[in-house]
Amino acid sequence: MNSDIQYEISQFLYYEAYLLDHRKYREWLELLDDDIQYTMPLRVTVDNKMGSNLNTEMTYFADSKKDIEIKVERLYTKSAWVENPPTRQRHFISNVVVEPCFSSNDYKVRSYFLFKRSRSSEAKTEELFGEREDIIRKVNGKWKIAKRTVYPDQSVLSVMNVSMFL
Amino acid sequence: MRTIDWKEVEKNIENGRFPQWLVTDPEIYELEKERIFGRTWQFLAHESELKEPGSFVTRMMVDDPIILVKNKNGEINAFLNSCSHRGVRLCTEDYGNKKAFSCPYHGWTYNLNGELIGVVAGNKVFGESMDKSEWGLRPVPRVESYQGMIFGNLDPDAMSLEDYLGEMKWYFDIMLGRSDGGMEVRGVPQRWVAKANWKMTSENFAADPYHVQTTHRSAVELKLTPSDPLYASYGHQVVLSNGHGINVITSATGRSNNIYQGMPESMWSMFEKNLNKEQLDIFSRVQNFVGGVFPNLSFLSSCSGTEGTKYNHLQFRVWRPLGPDQVEIWIWYMIDKALPEDYKEKSYKGFIATFGAAGTLEQDDTENWARIVEASQGLMARDRNLSYNNMLNYLMGLDYLDPDENFPGPGKAYPTCYTDHIARSMHKYWLELITKEPEVKSHE
Ligand code: FES
Ligand SMILES: [Fe+2]
Repeated sequence: MNSDIQYEISQFLYYEAYLLDHRKYREWLELLDDDIQYTMPLRVTVDNKMGSNLNTEMTYFADSKKDIEIKVERLYTKSAWVENPPTRQRHFISNVVVEPCFSSNDYKVRSYFLFKRSRSSEAKTEELFGEREDIIRKVNGKWKIAKRTVYPDQSVLSVMNVSMFL
Repeated sequence: MRTIDWKEVEKNIENGRFPQWLVTDPEIYELEKERIFGRTWQFLAHESELKEPGSFVTRMMVDDPIILVKNKNGEINAFLNSCSHRGVRLCTEDYGNKKAFSCPYHGWTYNLNGELIGVVAGNKVFGESMDKSEWGLRPVPRVESYQGMIFGNLDPDAMSLEDYLGEMKWYFDIMLGRSDGGMEVRGVPQRWVAKANWKMTSENFAADPYHVQTTHRSAVELKLTPSDPLYASYGHQVVLSNGHGINVITSATGRSNNIYQGMPESMWSMFEKNLNKEQLDIFSRVQNFVGGVFPNLSFLSSCSGTEGTKYNHLQFRVWRPLGPDQVEIWIWYMIDKALPEDYKEKSYKGFIATFGAAGTLEQDDTENWARIVEASQGLMARDRNLSYNNMLNYLMGLDYLDPDENFPGPGKAYPTCYTDHIARSMHKYWLELITKEPEVKSHE
């Protein structure tokens, strides 16, 4: 992979994490392509012979841009109690691997994530981790996320809810 | 610590006060496990999760790991998921299909009926004295089902599931038995762990439409739901036997804008065939059914979408206690098999958008449940002498509401959902069970 592209896309993902961690959700929305498919299937514990240990028939979310917009706007209301008091959160993004797609503007991007969250004065923190598979493309000179699938590693999530964007 | 004065607890519960210390007290939690969860029917699975002979799912009855498996005759049995040799957890998978279950420790093997069929080195090491038929998997004493919902009970002398569900069956028929072919679970249940007490989460679904306009006010702010403060109150709160309850939420007019919860007209003739007149009447007027089967099974049949084109979705959930202040939430999404695929898809999307770990409505519920346990663990909240007036308020509707005699369904139907009648009935049944000493069985 062209090292400039690798660098640009990695920087783009870090910038995205920065926006989310700083609760700039409306700015984050700008990074999403209009036809984005944003899904998170379930991890399950099954026999190795079943091949995959993901269950895609059920998901935590399967959002279009419109669905994400509603979720974002909700977080700006006065009574979205998950953001009131405000969440302190970090998205640690690593192991970024970029591969070209058939379409010249698209790249298939794999990355690992570790999400940590701290709420009110609770000393215990929550975490969620796993892998993301994205399609990232350049639209009018700007990088956009066209598709994201989030694969959690836990079959029983240890976060109170999945209100965060991953 | 002061011993528990159950008479005083009873008096308070009768008067709509639930002592706050009962919520998270560790001694109470131990009693709950033994006397409530050890004696009542607990939901295990829906029959659509076990399709073929050899299909199995693993579940938990509080701390007991359970394996449910369909045998060659199509019967579903439930066993303790623990090898009879030295107790190893036999099956670690969530679901799958097997011909036999083999233990990873010393290799004992059990068939689909739970019978021990293979012992490594068998007679050579155990001799003749071991009778294999005595060492099968240990069955859950009672497994029964209603409308495809499979329950287990650890008490061999428990009343039958149908007697236990009682009047709830009539409402289960509407939600689960309305269409030909019944319901199917989509995929697998969502599971996550939340800070909450199981009584408070069960109560939230079974008995508390009053929380809707505050907890879920963000939906009002976004104009997704009306601002009318009485929005979730219209309809009836129906108190059923054995601590069960259901809220039949309609609207200010007593009707729904979406007949049969937005189900397509192609389904109506099935409903008319499978339900009686009274059930149809209620089903045609309801916006949301929300309720619970005591102790920890909850359900919600709701609609998502825009006015005029609504999509019904049904969910069942178990609040598996992990301690006095933690639950593992399990949610099954179900849908009528007979519906067109494209309706099913829209229904599913409406469900995950609003409920489940990432659902917009769910997110704010978990926040509030966490805050209950966070504030209920100190000396003041936990004081058994109640010297700090550490009592929770269940006074709504205590002395001014009478049941509506014209309500067509079974149970005691109060003419508003903003009342604590179901909660008080849950507390009474909880008290009845928790104060019942285990019977000492005489050995004849
Ligand atoms: S513990 Fe299972 S075979 Fe020994
Ligand atoms: Fe709620």
